[in-house]
Amino acid sequence: MKIAMPVTAREKWDWLSLTYDLMTWGEDWRQGGEKRQLFAKIQGRTLLVSVGTGNDLKYLPPKCNLVAIDISPRMIERARTKASRAGGNIRLVLTDAQRLAFADQTFDTVLTVCTFCSIPDPVQGLQEVYRVLKPDGRLLMFEHVRSKIGLFALFLDFMTFLTRRFGPDLNRDTVSNVLQAGFRLQHEANVYLDIVKIIEAAK
Amino acid sequence: MSDPLIKSIEVRERRRDITHEGTSEPFFFRLGDYVAGILTGILTALAVRLIVGPQWDMVVAMLVGMGVGMLVHMTLLLLFTPLLGMFEVMMPLAMIGMYGGMLFGMRDSMQQAYIPLSTALIVGGVFGVFVVFVAHWWNRQLRGAVFARPEARRSS
Repeated sequence: MKIAMPVTAREKWDWLSLTYDLMTWGEDWRQGGEKRQLFAKIQGRTLLVSVGTGNDLKYLPPKCNLVAIDISPRMIERARTKASRAGGNIRLVLTDAQRLAFADQTFDTVLTVCTFCSIPDPVQGLQEVYRVLKPDGRLLMFEHVRSKIGLFALFLDFMTFLTRRFGPDLNRDTVSNVLQAGFRLQHEANVYLDIVKIIEAAK
Repeated sequence: MSDPLIKSIEVRERRRDITHEGTSEPFFFRLGDYVAGILTGILTALAVRLIVGPQWDMVVAMLVGMGVGMLVHMTLLLLFTPLLGMFEVMMPLAMIGMYGGMLFGMRDSMQQAYIPLSTALIVGGVFGVFVVFVAHWWNRQLRGAVFARPEARRSS
């Protein structure tokens, strides 16, 4: 199924795919342990929203049943090799997170890693995630958000002016967006300050 | 938190929690944080010293210092982000660049004649160490569960 996608977002992430692995090398090392713990919680048929270059696929438990999507063909292309190395049943699909190409109540778990900082309309994206989750399905997120500490929040607002054109927004209130989309919040934990977070929610 | 749904969450605890035990990161990342902080402090102090004149208006010097510090820290971000992680680098370096730049600008507009460049650079480096230390301490306070529903805790 071919989905019409906003060309600008796709182009942006196509371009970023060239340097993505390099720019996230340190982050990957520092936060890998937390990601592995989070990924261990996936159950049943799982959707990974925004697979990127596939850096996070190595944290998946063996024998997982995963559909990984991204808006960028170049990201998907780079993820293909890592998906074959990761093992498990991993299928890569090119689609827009704001208009998911899946039927209602398809997945038991939805996993996101630094995804909802980049989706143009995060609430619409989360509503789509809600739609494709089965009743009582779980949303597991590893995301960076706007800090509640004024000192950091102001700076993140300022930086978003610069990063928005060529990367993610740094000042999203993702926890509120999750609630707005209809999810029940189950768990929230800080990974770095109150900026990088693990968020767990249920449909 | 002003959201009533969030307020309704029953269990609140800081630091470590059962479901997300903090994982220890290699020591060289912490060392790298301090190296990045020291370098940012020194380069900010140097750049401010080169730009701000001894007779400048203190407010103008403060604002120029802040701008210079921002430019220095954003340049160093490109160098350190791939090695140390985006937010782990961005937040302390931003504080060093912004606030260090302001303080150094104020100082250099008033006391440039009395404080040699070498001392200014040492103070810049010490300021960098101080900010990184505070960032690590603050992170330890905030790290871990913010809240969890009891039923979610039991089932996970």
